[in-house]
Amino acid sequence: MLILKTTGLTRQFGGLIALSDVNVEINENEIVGIIGPNGAGKSTFTNVVAGVYLPTAGTIEFCGRDITMNAAHEKCHAGISRTFQLMRPLTGLSLIENVMLGAMFGRNYSQRESRKKSLEFCEFLNLGNVERPISAMTALEIKKMEIARALATEPKLLFLDEVMAGLNKDETLDMMDTVRKIHAQGMTIIIIEHIMRVIRELSHRVVVLEWGKVLCEGAYEEVSSDQRVITAYLGEEAEC
Amino acid sequence: MKHWKYFIGIVLLLAAVSLPKFLGIYYLQILNIVLIYAVYALSWDMLMRSGQLSFGIAGFAGIGGYVSVLCSYYFHINPILSILAGAVFAMLVAVLVGTAVLRLRLLYFAIVTLAIGEIFRIIIRNLEFTGGAEGMILKNAIFNGEAASTYWLMLVIGVLTIIISILFQKSRMRFALTAIANDEIVAASSGVNIFKYLVIIFAITSGLQGLAGAAYSQLYGSVTPEGQFSGSFTILPIVMALFGGLGTTWGPVIGAAILTIVAEALKLRIPYGYLLVYGIIMVVAILWFPGGIMGLIKKIYEKFNN
Repeated sequence: MLILKTTGLTRQFGGLIALSDVNVEINENEIVGIIGPNGAGKSTFTNVVAGVYLPTAGTIEFCGRDITMNAAHEKCHAGISRTFQLMRPLTGLSLIENVMLGAMFGRNYSQRESRKKSLEFCEFLNLGNVERPISAMTALEIKKMEIARALATEPKLLFLDEVMAGLNKDETLDMMDTVRKIHAQGMTIIIIEHIMRVIRELSHRVVVLEWGKVLCEGAYEEVSSDQRVITAYLGEEAEC
Repeated sequence: MKHWKYFIGIVLLLAAVSLPKFLGIYYLQILNIVLIYAVYALSWDMLMRSGQLSFGIAGFAGIGGYVSVLCSYYFHINPILSILAGAVFAMLVAVLVGTAVLRLRLLYFAIVTLAIGEIFRIIIRNLEFTGGAEGMILKNAIFNGEAASTYWLMLVIGVLTIIISILFQKSRMRFALTAIANDEIVAASSGVNIFKYLVIIFAITSGLQGLAGAAYSQLYGSVTPEGQFSGSFTILPIVMALFGGLGTTWGPVIGAAILTIVAEALKLRIPYGYLLVYGIIMVVAILWFPGGIMGLIKKIYEKFNN
């Protein structure tokens, strides 16, 4: 079943077109990888769909509803949640309180209910002592906490924006297991990643962006052998 | 532990209520000033918890003060109701202005809040029915100036502010405001309606400032533009909140109590140079205890526990 559909999605920053006429369709319980060179528009795509920026043109349809011009918190209420490329823990709140924020404001649960639900998410992600302040957490734990915070809003669609960045090999494997576990619960996931192994092993389908446009899409094997994709990443062969 | 807190709270409250039995008029008057500054400092801090810096304390206090005196003067409304009218009006102004300017942040927001007070001060100064630059005098001060009753009135307003602050710290309000102060993008992405929460907290804190300002005007039964919109009502509460410790309920209250009493004591001993000593105390406090008194207490408490 179709869950997200963007039509002609465009976002301009002054003279820079960060996203240009992007048409993407995401089906329920799919894991879609978005790849592309730096500055291709991957994070802008996330930010526009999740409501940090409004699109300059185009429409976003989510679960059959047009949510193009909805603000970020409304898109969250509609069921879109995300993590951030750079870690963004709320340092004024403890681990569990960070997660509770999602349940409380994303789903309007009471404090007591939010705590109960958040404890489940923390346990699901093996987060250990939940009363800790952010300063007592490792990078992997903070990233997991941000996933828990996103899950606590009970989304239908989860964006994972470079969740593996900055993790060592073991941590990356741990995080990949986490993503599989979340997917097994029926979640639809869009994963933005530079590490090709992660994309290869996790995603059912890959969308390649370049200069704000969709270059091509398909299964990992098709896309990775596509000459245009290789050119986008490595550049053209020099003629000498 | 939890019950102890309530017990201490009730004992403190009973002690505060019974103070007029033991203290003379002069001391009660000082306590009135302490309570007014505590309301200003604490309400300013409550807005600060959302990351918004306001310079509008004197403005909203002045608006509340003028509205309450106008109500008493022209319509002979009961002083208590006039005070409430002042608070409600200050809150309305905050909602209107807030809806327009709460999309601004940091210095831009701060400057607008400063301007609100200045605009009202200039308007009031030039209007006939507000008494122009001379202001207005009521026939009677509230309760005919009876010391114990006015003290109890101020105590009610002070306790109300403290209770609102404690409730906010225990409720989802704290989560929303902390998230907004820390990272607005994360807050919005987690479903927080930032604008709604900012308007609510701005309206409530401005209403409290209007309430205290109105009570202050009724306490003396008079208002003047320069007196009611005095800049010291904006600057001193901020200093008191910093001195006591930001982001806590008791910090601004303790800060207001200590600095008001110290200022009063110094005034008696060094009539001409007391502001100098006052300034030095503040500089030393902010340099050496950046977390304020509450930060200091927390540090000692943590050392003790280890």
